[in-house]
Amino acid sequence: MDADSANERLQVIRTLMERSAIYRRALAPIMTFLGILGLLGSAAGAILGIDSALHFGLYWLSLSFVGLVGAFILARRQAIRDREPFWSPPTKRVTQALLPSLFVGAVIGVIFSFTLGQQTSFSWALPVSWILLYGCALHAAGFFTPRGIRMLGWLFILGGCSLTLSSISVDARLSFVTSHLLMGIFFGGLQLAYGIYVRFTDRS
Amino acid sequence: MTVNPEPFLKLDRVIHEKGRMAIMSLLAATPELSFTEMRDALSMTDGNISVHLRTLQESGYIAVTKSFQERKPLTTCSLTEAGRKAFTEYIDLLEQIVRQTRR
Repeated sequence: MDADSANERLQVIRTLMERSAIYRRALAPIMTFLGILGLLGSAAGAILGIDSALHFGLYWLSLSFVGLVGAFILARRQAIRDREPFWSPPTKRVTQALLPSLFVGAVIGVIFSFTLGQQTSFSWALPVSWILLYGCALHAAGFFTPRGIRMLGWLFILGGCSLTLSSISVDARLSFVTSHLLMGIFFGGLQLAYGIYVRFTDRS
Repeated sequence: MTVNPEPFLKLDRVIHEKGRMAIMSLLAATPELSFTEMRDALSMTDGNISVHLRTLQESGYIAVTKSFQERKPLTTCSLTEAGRKAFTEYIDLLEQIVRQTRR
């Protein structure tokens, strides 16, 4: 065996180990799609004047459902195109890692929306909870995804913590326009930036 | 330039076969995989993968567990300690071969 075939074997081993352990599928298009959805949702929410706990919660829960369906379609489309099984072990692990935080986020969203109803104060609570939980979800999924997802998770977590701290320390009651803006910055801007970063740096 | 043949001679023949090397690579990066997951990931036939799994199991490199999931038989495989050690040594030897020629 010469160096070239040894090198080739090492490359095959590396590729197979990555395929077995790391979720790569459609990461750039999914994050770009979610980012654009977040930005458009934020702008539309502010313009349409969605300004009660009930409407705010239901509006963003609906958008997150659209985001989930879109991500599913994008991942499935790439799996079909690359002739790979869709429900692969890495996909399963990423889903399992994301699920607890996303589930808690959905439950909090429903409780918040229906208990606070038409109230317009404490509007920061839901976006900040979602930002924190989504950060935890990304961080957990980051153990099975390539580069940067855990760092993105930390950005959400630290951003959410800073917002919580500033909300408590200045007793802030954010307007719902500001809440939509926060959602746009985190779920739109950060995810879009990550999607663009992956698109231009991923050599897989 | 003289090339030392020793690393090549030391390569584990059980792992060196392409199909078995692929199975070991998949299992090295994940706690366990089912028979179908490996078959689909490697595009192998049932018969082909079964033969390789049996060889790896007889060498003590993988553990095969048979169970039932929703009344269907489920075969899962994982690397044993001996398998992980042998695979690490195999990779080290490949790296030695690459380094030797680069020198």
